[in-house]
Amino acid sequence: MVNSAETDKKISKRFRWIDPFLEGWSIFKESILGRIGLTLLIIFALMALFSFIPPHIDPMYHPMTGVDPAVSHSTGPSMRHWLGTDFMGRDLLSQLLAGARVAFMVGVSAAFMSIFLGTAIGMIAGYSGRGIDTLLMRLADMIMVMPTLLVILILSSLFGQLNIWTIVLIIALFRWPGVSRVIRAQTLSLKQRPFIEAARVAGASHLRIIFRHIMPNVLPLSFLYMTFRVTSAIIIEAALAFLGFGDPGTVSWGMMLQWVWKTGHMFSAPYWLLPPGICISLITLSFYMLGRAMDEVLDPRLRKEEGAG
Amino acid sequence: MELRRYIFRRLIQIIIIFFVILTVLFLLFRLAPGDPVSRMIDPDMTPEDAEVLISQLGLDQPLWTQYVYYVKNFFTGNFGDSFHYGQPVVRIIGNRLPNTILLFTSSIILSALVGIFLGKIASWHKGKKTDTWMTIGALVTHTVFLPWLALIMIWVFAYKLDWFPITGMISEEVWLDPDVGLLAKFLDVLHHMVLPLGTLFLIHFGSYLLIMRSSMLETLKEDYIITARAKGLEEDVIRDHHAAPNAALPVVTSVGLSLAFSINGGALTETVFTWPGIGRELVFSVSHNDYPLAQASFLLIAIVVLLSNLVVDVLYAYLDPRIRY
Amino acid sequence: MALLEVENLNIGYRTRKGYLQAVAGVSFSLEEGKSLGFVGESGCGKTTIGMALMGLLPPNGMVTKGRILFEGQDLLTLSDSEMRSIRWKRIAMIFQAAMNAMNPVHRVEDQVAEAILAHDPDLGKSDAKKQVEGLFQLVGIPEARMRDYPHQYSGGMKQRAIIAMALACHPKLIIADEPTTALDVIVQDQILKETRKLQREFGISMIFISHDISIVADVCHDIGIMYAGQLVEYGSREEVFQSPCHPYTRALISSYPTLTGKKSRLTPISGETPNLINPPSGCRFCDRCPGAKTSCKTDPPAWEEVGPRHRALCQDFR
Repeated sequence: MVNSAETDKKISKRFRWIDPFLEGWSIFKESILGRIGLTLLIIFALMALFSFIPPHIDPMYHPMTGVDPAVSHSTGPSMRHWLGTDFMGRDLLSQLLAGARVAFMVGVSAAFMSIFLGTAIGMIAGYSGRGIDTLLMRLADMIMVMPTLLVILILSSLFGQLNIWTIVLIIALFRWPGVSRVIRAQTLSLKQRPFIEAARVAGASHLRIIFRHIMPNVLPLSFLYMTFRVTSAIIIEAALAFLGFGDPGTVSWGMMLQWVWKTGHMFSAPYWLLPPGICISLITLSFYMLGRAMDEVLDPRLRKEEGAG
Repeated sequence: MELRRYIFRRLIQIIIIFFVILTVLFLLFRLAPGDPVSRMIDPDMTPEDAEVLISQLGLDQPLWTQYVYYVKNFFTGNFGDSFHYGQPVVRIIGNRLPNTILLFTSSIILSALVGIFLGKIASWHKGKKTDTWMTIGALVTHTVFLPWLALIMIWVFAYKLDWFPITGMISEEVWLDPDVGLLAKFLDVLHHMVLPLGTLFLIHFGSYLLIMRSSMLETLKEDYIITARAKGLEEDVIRDHHAAPNAALPVVTSVGLSLAFSINGGALTETVFTWPGIGRELVFSVSHNDYPLAQASFLLIAIVVLLSNLVVDVLYAYLDPRIRY
Repeated sequence: MALLEVENLNIGYRTRKGYLQAVAGVSFSLEEGKSLGFVGESGCGKTTIGMALMGLLPPNGMVTKGRILFEGQDLLTLSDSEMRSIRWKRIAMIFQAAMNAMNPVHRVEDQVAEAILAHDPDLGKSDAKKQVEGLFQLVGIPEARMRDYPHQYSGGMKQRAIIAMALACHPKLIIADEPTTALDVIVQDQILKETRKLQREFGISMIFISHDISIVADVCHDIGIMYAGQLVEYGSREEVFQSPCHPYTRALISSYPTLTGKKSRLTPISGETPNLINPPSGCRFCDRCPGAKTSCKTDPPAWEEVGPRHRALCQDFR
């Protein structure tokens, strides 16, 4: 044990920026919500990884095209199909695993994109001030008011069936306002700090100041908000797929629910109805818990209370 | 009074935002790939009728003139006829609007009030079993996937237990019967409303509970709570009369911020429960390429969201004297 | 019999870092109609004493030893409801106006009336409002502003409203916790004058808590100097001010500028207050004391009587 403490010290000495992360990790570990959330997420991540396996075992396990010659309708759990099959005889477990992969893909990419956009816009708005700031924030206000799901519906009526990446992009385009507000507030307070003044005097261009000086200070905040973006992206994609507007080539949990609903198996196939819904709900729950635990790390006031003075 | 000026300012803002949305929608419909004309003209129409409609809507004119026609048509309520229903769109959405308002408003009010009430109690019992269970309950219900919850509700309560009808807002037998009175009709609607309302309620009350709970805990640390205790007031007076009115304010803000989310949920609920509202109409019209109806439904929903934002803002200003004075 | 007699009061807080001894062995008494001031730096325990007298210590605070005898009754033995009936009716508190002492969503008039009605429930609302009117007149708040909300008041007005609220039930004792901090000096002066006038007019006893010794010397008959949770000097205002005994008192007085008298160098007090989680066994001031001896560190200091009512907690200060 002594050795690892020494090694820790050696490592953290070399990379001093790790220190806040290590401290954050120890606080995070204490939070029960954080632990449960992280455990669940690891399970889902494993599911996503395993999703590549079933088609290799036997082509009939492919989520989209798998056809079991012996089964051509929805059946319950069995030895060959641990969760059962859907109305076309496709294996439900492999669909569930593929859904995990899609959820992560959609969630993380949409979150990344909206964080990227939101941070950039927030920094520019906060740094530029006045006209540009007002314009950007008005834009953010307008976008925040719009119900993302319904906007995507209208867009798909115009552009036809949307593919998964278009959906991700549109989700990102509608979720950046929340991030930008916070980043803007942070930028505004950073703008007053002396080191920014110093950089300006030294002749740094505005862009350089933004990306070299402000961005590193603002990024941790961005990442905190990422957890919330991920959940909303997953839910929107699931709702879209559920309504029948998802990407028909992608098997997502929402898509599975669409199939069980539209093919009239809602009342007769609980093994089909329950797993996808449980998965969507649980992954949302786990990201939420993760977000709460991270809140505690970043905002000391939320930690266990100290005594009064 | 300050309040009137505030409302007026917000109203102007909303009108501007709405115009932006209107314009964007116009541009999207005209500039999107495909033939914009076919989007406004029912494919089943005769060529002659189509000609009439084209000139009426100005579809053969340059873009700018089209826009003027478009705005004019909006204000005169002329959205064209629905491809699917064959009736004027305005009549259809006018028919659907009250149903959505009914479901939407009652779900928000119910979940906000119950959320505030339970959040207050949870904060009071912080750390004990009541609080833990309430927090877990709120967390779990809040993260459940709405359409799936709707399906489960139908499966359990309508199909298996047969307590409630599976779809729709009314039972035809009740409404078509001339002898049936108003009360019975009202109760019938209520009966149909239980499941969709219950689903929306379950999804939303959790977040209000959690916000109220943490807001109460913060408020109870405020100095005026010490003053209230020093005055010798009873604990429940302190909690309900001094702390709660302040603690409820962030919940109101949160209702406002999550209106878009609530409308999404409303549309999903209407679709699953076949509740005849505009949300469902939007989904339906989009899947059937009924462009006039889809456009109009979307615009109407946008108005509903904007106006609800205004209502929430006014409510907040009313509740917090620091805004009003 | 004195109105208030505090004997050997010990108060502590349970914190994450350990048990913090905020007040140690404090004893004093207060006659009817007289005023007593507690002076000290932040964290010295003066506010804690005020809170303990009202029974308003936070959940992690507790009185471990001592008695608080108010009109002959030990307040520490009272039940919650008994204490509630005493609060405000017999002992009231004046808070800092800069604090959020009033509820932002209720009108000022209603909040003062609430205090009256809480202890006199049979009084009608309109009668209570009339009383509030009288009180506001007393402190100089125009009647037209009575129905305003707290955020509409200036700092000085808020302080007056808080004073009016404290007087509402005609208490025997008022504890004023830093009532003039954060107000500008002109308003401060006005408030102090008002306070003195009201105290004389109604014969209310006052405990004045402040970090500013000059204010306390202005308003109070007796002064108690607090340091690191202990009372280190106690006596009448003249005695303490004119012949301070404890090194801390001396340092405190010389760190304040005076308008009259010869100009002397201001000498700030170097060093920091001791950690109250592990308080030193000897004198708590010895690290910063210019006249400290080796015995000061290990032996707890004893009270030295200097005058009939004047005492100081120091081994040897002459």
